[in-house]
Amino acid sequence: MSNPADMKFLIVDDFSTMRRIVRGLLKEIGYNNAEEAEDGAVALNMLKNGRYDFVVSDINMPNMNGFELLKAIKADDGLKHLPVLMVTAEARKEDIVLAAQSGAAGYIVKPFTKATLEEKVQKIMQKLAATA
Amino acid sequence: MSIDLPDNMQMPAASPEIFQQLGQLTRQLHDTMNMLGVLPDLKNHVDNLPDARSRLNYIATKTADAAEKVLNLVDTAKADQEHIATETRKLAALITADPVKAVASGAVFNFVQDVETTTHRVDGHLTDIMMAQDFHDLTGQVVAKVVRLANDLEGQLVKLLVQAAPPEQAQKVEAALTSHHAPIEPRLDGPVVNPEGRTDVVADQSEVDDLLASLGF
Repeated sequence: MSNPADMKFLIVDDFSTMRRIVRGLLKEIGYNNAEEAEDGAVALNMLKNGRYDFVVSDINMPNMNGFELLKAIKADDGLKHLPVLMVTAEARKEDIVLAAQSGAAGYIVKPFTKATLEEKVQKIMQKLAATA
Repeated sequence: MSIDLPDNMQMPAASPEIFQQLGQLTRQLHDTMNMLGVLPDLKNHVDNLPDARSRLNYIATKTADAAEKVLNLVDTAKADQEHIATETRKLAALITADPVKAVASGAVFNFVQDVETTTHRVDGHLTDIMMAQDFHDLTGQVVAKVVRLANDLEGQLVKLLVQAAPPEQAQKVEAALTSHHAPIEPRLDGPVVNPEGRTDVVADQSEVDDLLASLGF
């Protein structure tokens, strides 16, 4: 990816309000290219049929939750390179540990601020740049 | 609780036999419900009612906070907007009177700087208004939990009703219930409504970061 601002995000959340909030914040911090999915199953289908660079996912969703999506992404050779940032209301320590052990690139607990999202996204971007 | 009866009313004296009969009936009802397996389940659901109360309080607080935050931000943004409108009118008057002086005195430059500062501030207010809408997601998850609890409680009460009804009526009720009750998907915990005293959850983002750092992530 030559220009980080061109990165394509996939925002996964069953609440459209939260998808719009995350999309709006990403735009404010310089990432205009984002699409949305309402659950893990829809997201996985989009990921397999499109080109994305970054996934921001909720955990508590119907059909396929965020943990299942994360595991499916990390189990797929074509997708496992994708950074997955969890943005969720799940605040149990065991969930946070599970997400990290399952390969999440970051974990944000709701409610969150613009500064938190920006910090986590930039941190992941720096790691990506360092390993590229 | 005590009831004060009017002076002209007297509570009839109950005989010990009536109390004994009432006691027997209550015991029979209790034993029957236990035998039917309804009472333990029903008790479990009733025990969850304080949790539902906490969750409803959480919703009330979250929505009230969001509404107040948005209204305060709108007030501030409107004041900023009014400031720009006033300054624009003043500058227009200056330019109309003497355009060269308006530029030379720095009034135009100051105005441009003022507009830039104020619009940046208004943009911040709009972002905060957008962020305040996160209550929809958080309360939505909590509402779903309360609805599940109400459904479970309703199911147990209907089960009790069916078991106590005549067989032909019970079959009708059961058939109607089977056709109307869509299964609700199991979900994760959702937002923590009572974090006080809990050690199994994090209270904020800094605790998430500390936990992940302690694990080497």
